[in-house]
Amino acid sequence: MFQGRHVGYLEGLRYQGREGMLAWALHRITGLGILFFVGTHVIAAFFMHSIGGDISTAITTTYESTPMQIFVYFCVLYHALNGLRVIVEDFWPPLLRFNRELLWFQWFVFLPVFGLPALLMALSIVSGGK
Amino acid sequence: MRSRYAGQGSSLEYYLWLFTRLSGVFMLFMAAFGIVYANLAGGRTLLDIAAQYRWSFFPIYWHVQNTAVPDVVPNWSNSFWQIFCLLLVFIAAVHGFNGLRGVVEDYVHRPLLLLAAKGLVFVTFLFVLGSAAVIIFELFQ
Repeated sequence: MFQGRHVGYLEGLRYQGREGMLAWALHRITGLGILFFVGTHVIAAFFMHSIGGDISTAITTTYESTPMQIFVYFCVLYHALNGLRVIVEDFWPPLLRFNRELLWFQWFVFLPVFGLPALLMALSIVSGGK
Repeated sequence: MRSRYAGQGSSLEYYLWLFTRLSGVFMLFMAAFGIVYANLAGGRTLLDIAAQYRWSFFPIYWHVQNTAVPDVVPNWSNSFWQIFCLLLVFIAAVHGFNGLRGVVEDYVHRPLLLLAAKGLVFVTFLFVLGSAAVIIFELFQ
């Protein structure tokens, strides 16, 4: 699947352009974001459980901070929505005709569902939260 | 966006391609199950929203302990959730680290470096799985 698709860094960033490229890049970035968050979370919990100590406390404080939670929420929601769109298009290829419409529809769903909680969480920082 | 093609290369690649899609949907259902369960078990009054989300993506009792739950044992702590949790982590780890392998194969071209990078991905995968098993089943305690 992945082999033989050797792309350079710049070419990888450019890809095919327009809406699809943004979705592709964001899917990749948010996927790496989730993997990074979940990976450090599990490993930090493991260290906390087995040895305790300052390192695990520091990691825990970082991912429990509100900006980090907003970032993780962005990653999970975008990756889930975009992944669902890719699955639908993969299993029902005729829908690829409406790829652009689906991409715009996806933003139409994503923005309010992400924006409102993110705004409330951001406001909680302003009003003196974590 | 042009999707990745199915069936290029070996049949293992095809099954991983299929697994990525099916597990993606499956994890969403598991998360939904977690949220519904948390609310049916009194989560609406006992857990804040953050704790409910924490329960959905990692349903283990100490994930809800620092909330208003008076006694976590009856609803939140039993073997069902340990197995559910391990299954969720296993599926998520295969999905995630296979994706990371795809990213690595896109950007690393030199064969030896690619082999080393993929080895590192695999070792990290095993370490995360091992860590998860230790904290879920509270081994070494």
